[in-house]
Amino acid sequence: MATIARETRAARGHVGSEVGAYLRHLDYLLIAAVAGVITYGIWVLTAVTRNDVPGDAGYFVSRQEVYIAVGAVLAAVAVAVSPEVYRRYANALYAVAIALLLLVLVVGDDVRGSKRWIEFGSFRFQPSEIGKVLLILFLAAFVANRARSDSPWKTVWGAVGFAALPMILVFKEPDFGSTLIYGSALLAVLFFGGVPWKHLASLAIATALIALSALWFLPAAGVEVLDAYQKDRLIGFVNPDVDPSGTTYNVNQSITAVGSGGIDGRGVAGASQTNMNYLPEHNTDFIFSSLAEQRGFLGAAILLLLYAFIAWRGIKIVAIAPSLYTSAVAGAIVFSFLFQIFVNVGMTIGIAPVTGIPLPFVSFGGSSMITTMLMIGILESIYVRGRLAGRR
Amino acid sequence: MSSPSANLPGGFLPPDPRVEEPYRVTPQAAIRIAILGVVAVTIFCALFFRLWALQVISGERYLEVAKNNQVRTFRAPAPRGSIVDRNGEVLVSNRPGTAVQLWPAAFDQATPETQTFVVHRLATLLHIPYREIRSDIAARKDDLLTPITIKENVNEEKINYLLEHQNDFPGVQINQTYQRHYDEGGIAAQTLGYVSEISQQQLDAAKGKGYAAGDRIGQTGVEATYDTYLRGLPGIGRVFVDALGRVTSARQFQQLPEAGDNVRLTIDAELQKTAEEALAYGVRLAHDDGQWAADGGALVAMDPNSGEILALASNPTFDPSIYTGRVDKNDLKELADPTANHPTLDRAVAGLYPPGSTFKPVTALAALETGILSPAELIQCTPKEVVDGQTFTNWDPYANEPMTLTTALAASCDTYFYQVALRFYNRTDSPLQKWARTMGFGASTGIDVGPEATGLIPTPAWRRHYFKTEIDKIWTSGDSVQLGIGQGDVLVTPLQMTRFYAMLANGGKLVEPHIVQSVEEPATPGQPPVVLRPYSPKPAKDVGLNPNNIRVVQEGLYDATHANYGTSAGIFGSFPVPIAGKTGTAEKFVRLPNYQGLQDQAWWCGYGPYDKPSLVVCAMIENGGHGGVVAAPVALQVFQKFFDVDPNSFNASVGNSD
Repeated sequence: MATIARETRAARGHVGSEVGAYLRHLDYLLIAAVAGVITYGIWVLTAVTRNDVPGDAGYFVSRQEVYIAVGAVLAAVAVAVSPEVYRRYANALYAVAIALLLLVLVVGDDVRGSKRWIEFGSFRFQPSEIGKVLLILFLAAFVANRARSDSPWKTVWGAVGFAALPMILVFKEPDFGSTLIYGSALLAVLFFGGVPWKHLASLAIATALIALSALWFLPAAGVEVLDAYQKDRLIGFVNPDVDPSGTTYNVNQSITAVGSGGIDGRGVAGASQTNMNYLPEHNTDFIFSSLAEQRGFLGAAILLLLYAFIAWRGIKIVAIAPSLYTSAVAGAIVFSFLFQIFVNVGMTIGIAPVTGIPLPFVSFGGSSMITTMLMIGILESIYVRGRLAGRR
Repeated sequence: MSSPSANLPGGFLPPDPRVEEPYRVTPQAAIRIAILGVVAVTIFCALFFRLWALQVISGERYLEVAKNNQVRTFRAPAPRGSIVDRNGEVLVSNRPGTAVQLWPAAFDQATPETQTFVVHRLATLLHIPYREIRSDIAARKDDLLTPITIKENVNEEKINYLLEHQNDFPGVQINQTYQRHYDEGGIAAQTLGYVSEISQQQLDAAKGKGYAAGDRIGQTGVEATYDTYLRGLPGIGRVFVDALGRVTSARQFQQLPEAGDNVRLTIDAELQKTAEEALAYGVRLAHDDGQWAADGGALVAMDPNSGEILALASNPTFDPSIYTGRVDKNDLKELADPTANHPTLDRAVAGLYPPGSTFKPVTALAALETGILSPAELIQCTPKEVVDGQTFTNWDPYANEPMTLTTALAASCDTYFYQVALRFYNRTDSPLQKWARTMGFGASTGIDVGPEATGLIPTPAWRRHYFKTEIDKIWTSGDSVQLGIGQGDVLVTPLQMTRFYAMLANGGKLVEPHIVQSVEEPATPGQPPVVLRPYSPKPAKDVGLNPNNIRVVQEGLYDATHANYGTSAGIFGSFPVPIAGKTGTAEKFVRLPNYQGLQDQAWWCGYGPYDKPSLVVCAMIENGGHGGVVAAPVALQVFQKFFDVDPNSFNASVGNSD
């Protein structure tokens, strides 16, 4: 008994030192950068939504703070969980993702013509956001498990096939933005999963063919793949002056808002584009325009620099990851994060098509905030394990 | 070690297949991580450069755009000028009203569901069919910056409701407008015309004249001809609005609306009313006969010396107030219905009719001036006359006596004029037609409201040109005979006829008929109106008739109303003011629902007082029968009103037939 007790104590001491080592090896620069961007995001959201709900200036911010708290807890859990757990239960995670995405199509709330949300009482939940993480965890496992297989072809097209199903489901909602993000995640998993260049190239050609047929060949043959509004947005993106008051109205108003911010911004009271509702969805998809209008180039640059810092730490984590699986997961998280920032900010300044992609950490919304924080937690978990493995 | 083709590319994974962990970055993986780094740098560079371009380089310009963004220019309609009669009595004025309008730009931003919802609620609230509002909005698809007027004259209760529920009606706004108000009811409807929203064609045609979509513009009559004066200058101003088009500031005017000028007519409202009532009475009178379709008529009362028109009536007529506010499509359908018989047509100016015997003075004067007839010459007035094998009858089958010109005019002997007209047949230079043209027929009179019909004086050349078959192309003796009594192909407007009788009354001068006296500044109470622009008609033109010849015809017209054989002596014989005038009954082939064949157009034209004429009147009842029976009593009522004659002071019976 005594021995056992001693052993237990020893184990405890071991565990204690393990936790200490664990905590010592966290990437505190990443944590600091994320804390900074979240704080900055709260400050932006406070200013932008001040007049949105009459009589309750803090309506959106108080809710966002709750989401941040939930996200922080989930991130902490993710830091503790070994990524190998996800790898082991990858198929289950995929099944959960598909189930949620099917569920939203059946019971989802119809908001402005698209079914993206499932309602729980007063709480709304967007499955396509959490689906993003689940898809990355599954695809990376699929690719990593087949790393030494004899047929990389099967690996590539198998991954494409598994990714295609959720992409089609979110496209059905319709949520074109999430479809693009899922695509970017697939690409990153294959890229960091070590798929040979020639397979990546053939995949790129296939993607180009699909895009062309969706936009061109099939409509010419009488089969419409994209809804008219989706097509308009893509065309409007290429030529914003086609219809200044219709489809591209939002983009032109957004560009005006951003441009009018100048170097140091128009301030909260002076930001007429935001205050007079010329900017659509200025607390979610177009929040960057409001930030740029209120705080100018300086305010926008601070946010972008914080993002760039997070990206830099993320890339480091891809390099330090302890396994092919974790490397692919980290690569996909970092790339989809970058992709999301580019498409969202690019949309507001007219260099990317209009899609409903939120701006990570800043746009109002629980699903996006919690998912993004969860992804950071996974990155940290990979980082810690990479460093601890390297120490051995 | 497995072959490179079966494995991941050489060097991506650690070389030993059993050793996967601890994982070490291989050079192959490092390349890919480096590529991710390059992508990240590229993305942030692209965003930074674009932001720099927008905010730092073009910031000023976008700031300007943003500042203008929430400013909306608006046009405030100016109160339109009033139309008053010669005595200053108001015929048409303005009523301020409240209009419900829609900003297409703001409406456009709403989702389709919201749009449907808003239009449905408006339709219910304002009692306008949903589809009509939708089609109005669709019509303005290309012009999103001009408000669409949904309804004018909306009552206060509904306005308050809309104002209180602004958030439920994105793009809906309340605006002050002015509406035409017809103070004297619908009198002189065709002459005054109506006002309605400018059409796209009109907008295109009037480019550069300061009209804008949504403006109201005079469409016909005085409202159209004098629109430039009446409409005034719309105010232009700015308001601040939010993205939903809700006004967030007071209106700031850059240019205040300037009220339109008033237009003073030569019309006498009282006489006009009498004329319209008399005309309606004449139509009823003719209709009651049962023999005649009697579906309309026209009357002109004019000062024979100045050309000022004192009354200009056309029957049937319509209520111009149907054009104010939102036009009810059913009303327009009713107006356009064939059974309504074209109530918007101004028959006095644009109606064409054969003149019949009222044309005989033209024949008489032409013959006298050409020298083929002498006033004292006696010509046998026979019951009928055979010309080249064709028989032409006299309206009075019992007449058979030699007549001078005055007698023939007074008794309106057809056969006398057949024989005179025949004398023109042999002349190659068509003197009758030439004189008819000189005396104002076959051309517009130049009246300031239109459109005006010109009429037709048939000539051999016209026949050759107009007809297809060889037989029809020939001008026969019958054509000359017909023209001599104002029958056949000749067509005149009541206004041309009035002007001709004015010429007889004033001793040979053609006046320019006009309906507007002056354009005036709106009078401040207690002050006389300031005339801005008097109407200056062309001076009356002497057509070069021998005064003696005119006198003979005048005598003939006097006898027609006073001699016992005169065709309207029964009506005017005992009238205290000496009136001279001529009846006319012109056959016209018509196709009407219940009346097919020849219908008589009833005419009476004349003037008074005989020695010093101050009023010329021409009355015409369309398909109304005999001039002496239905047209002369109509004219009598107008004279009676004008000269303020007690109806009991004289004895009017029915006139003779013709």
